[in-house]
Amino acid sequence: MFQDLLGGLWVVLQPINLLILTSAVLIGFVGGALPGISGVILVVILLPVTYSMEPTGAFMLLTAIYASSVFSGLITAILYRAPGTPEAVMTAIDGYPMTQKGEAGKALGIGILSSAIGGMFGTLVLILATPFLADMALQFSSPEFFALAVLGLTVVASLGGNLLLGLIGVCIGLMIASVGIDPLTGTIRFTFGSLHLMGGVNLIPVIIGLFAISEVLKRCQEGDIHLTSKSFKIKIFDWPVIRQIRTTIVRSSILGTVIGILPGIGASTAAMVSYSETVRWSKDRSRFGKGAPEGIAAPEAANNAAAMGALVPLFALGIPGSGTTAVILGAFIVHGLTPGPTFMSGNNELIYAVFVGLMMVNVMILVFSKPFIAVLSKLLDVPYSVLGPIIVICCVVGTYSVQNSMMDVWLMLGFGVAGFLLEKIGFPLVAIILGVVLGPIAESELRRSLALSQGDLSIFVTRPISAVLLLIAFVLVTVTIVAPILRRKRARRDETA
Amino acid sequence: MHNTIRRLVIGPVMATMALTAPAWAEDSFQPPKMTAFVAAGAGGGTDNFVRTIQPMLEERLKTNMTVINLPAASGVLAHQRTANSEPDGTSLDFASTTFITSRAAGQNPVGLDQLTPVARMQSDVMMLVVNPEKYDNLEEFMANARENGQKVVIGGTHAASVDRMAFLGLNKQAELELSYIPYDNEGSASASLLSGNVDGMMNEISAIQGYMEAGRMKPILAFSAERLDAYPDIPTTAENGWDLTFGNERGVFINAQTDPATISAIEAAFKDIFDSEEYQTYAKRSNLDVRAGWLGSADYRQALEKDLAFFEELMADN
Repeated sequence: MFQDLLGGLWVVLQPINLLILTSAVLIGFVGGALPGISGVILVVILLPVTYSMEPTGAFMLLTAIYASSVFSGLITAILYRAPGTPEAVMTAIDGYPMTQKGEAGKALGIGILSSAIGGMFGTLVLILATPFLADMALQFSSPEFFALAVLGLTVVASLGGNLLLGLIGVCIGLMIASVGIDPLTGTIRFTFGSLHLMGGVNLIPVIIGLFAISEVLKRCQEGDIHLTSKSFKIKIFDWPVIRQIRTTIVRSSILGTVIGILPGIGASTAAMVSYSETVRWSKDRSRFGKGAPEGIAAPEAANNAAAMGALVPLFALGIPGSGTTAVILGAFIVHGLTPGPTFMSGNNELIYAVFVGLMMVNVMILVFSKPFIAVLSKLLDVPYSVLGPIIVICCVVGTYSVQNSMMDVWLMLGFGVAGFLLEKIGFPLVAIILGVVLGPIAESELRRSLALSQGDLSIFVTRPISAVLLLIAFVLVTVTIVAPILRRKRARRDETA
Repeated sequence: MHNTIRRLVIGPVMATMALTAPAWAEDSFQPPKMTAFVAAGAGGGTDNFVRTIQPMLEERLKTNMTVINLPAASGVLAHQRTANSEPDGTSLDFASTTFITSRAAGQNPVGLDQLTPVARMQSDVMMLVVNPEKYDNLEEFMANARENGQKVVIGGTHAASVDRMAFLGLNKQAELELSYIPYDNEGSASASLLSGNVDGMMNEISAIQGYMEAGRMKPILAFSAERLDAYPDIPTTAENGWDLTFGNERGVFINAQTDPATISAIEAAFKDIFDSEEYQTYAKRSNLDVRAGWLGSADYRQALEKDLAFFEELMADN
């Protein structure tokens, strides 16, 4: 393997390939930073360009764009609360409050470092363990995915804030997720006869509406404040901060990689689960949502690690672990290559060149992100009365381009107004996103599990992995609900005594 | 008076033009701009098909083609936008058999009266695929299927997919009671088969080549009339006495009100592409050459109408 890696390095160091990698990173940066233009779209746009290229160069280009776009979604999430990619939704929750506190530089530094470390960790696992891990991931079937989604949904209990509002939020999210063609029976649900709603509500309009548009509306109401205080300096290696977030980064990198490897769920889910686990493990939960450094480190380490992890089943089994990797799988086939069991043995040079290339991309993120953000953040000097409309335009264009659908744009604007109003009453918007992302997984995997077991519910407890996951979820919910009650009782007893 | 003269002069001119129309159209249907609506998401088989053909069609019709992916709701929006477009031949709908299966399932309001097939370019062969650790051949599978009925589970894609139609057809013709689990995508269904969570999977031959070579999947039944030249060992539905010969097909559709001459011009362009070495290389590379793909407009319509009736019958039974 060491020799293969050296061979890969040699291929990557060819001037033409270095040029490809560098431009891929920059393309990924720009695409990731624009809301609505995700890694998937970039890879698709550039796919025809790669037809005439050598396969090695082509796949270095595509995978590098994918890796760097997952990273750069955090920039606009932190600066404007407009996540550039779905993967960066959770980053906005603590990143944006830090910007509001005038700590944008610190927030970006944490994001960059966590992303790079998460990405490197994921790549390392990808290189070392691809054949072995892919087989492990196959152990996960419907009951396990259902249990994982349930575990994710219980997060709402530990997010802090008003538990009842959180539960209502999850239910709203689940309701949104149930619109469209029922994936299992093909029955049409809640579409009110609209063809556009038949495909269901896409995640992008919900995210962009709830987070970006609602923020612009809020700012409109506050009047034109020129944010001169926002000038910042990014410090990536800030040792006191690193000491604070290092356990979070390590835990989230591992969690992210593992979730990424599982077929079918990708970096967005990884960011969500690791954020919630970080909140759970934290001693002082009230800091989250108000600008906690761990709140940035967790999702960023996890989503970059997961992006690399998602490549494991792609290379080893030919099964994509996420939406973007599904497109990359298509690209392989167009180039006459079929990833899967036979692929690993026959295309060593290509595979190791791609692996080494991905490692270099994560290093380049550390090097290039600072100047790139410096250019991008010049925007902050622009008054909000100009910047706000630009953000809205980007959101509209980005949303439209996902499915070429005007309906999505209207939905996005609708969710924007809804998000604006809900925030006024202190509603946790994340809860809605949780429901929208995890709802479809939970629903269809539950029904698939029951179809597998002919309706026997015991399938969830007789399979060890799903049993453990559900048990954890159950304990966590019970603890979050019971603990405050006990504490209150004790306090009352103390008072009376 | 003037009108009469004009009519007298124009009449013969028009008649001559009408007579020469097909040849004229074939040579000079060269719109400056065309739009390709794709009834599938970016990156899948249908999308790859469109993006491979795009430069070839642009060259032949001396045009610029914009590709728009409309994956929502099994591609219904792509059909609808093509059906509502100007009938001038510049809007094409690239679709797969899902066009017909979603119609049979009542999800697709656009029918063959609104869209006319231009050409079929690909015809994949549906396979019943099993995990070789579980079953070695069709006999073993059938014995278990007869004995355990509903407990034998087949995976595939969504409920209105050609996979499910194949499943329903097999259940009906072979008098079985197998269960079907629809997955979100082919990858998840493959994962379930590899891990042994489902007994079998419906999939096209082009999609499972890698697994077959590695000995991790085994097709045990081909939905075709004759044994495939490349895979003479796989038994067929026809030799078992089951009248089920289909697979996923990919073709091009156009607004039904388009001038027939324009349609034949576009059909001719596609035929030329299909016969080109460039296209055949792509088809070979993607394993899409196991069965003859080409069908012209009229033949394709006939085949689709027959399939639609069959799928509707299957859906009505369930």
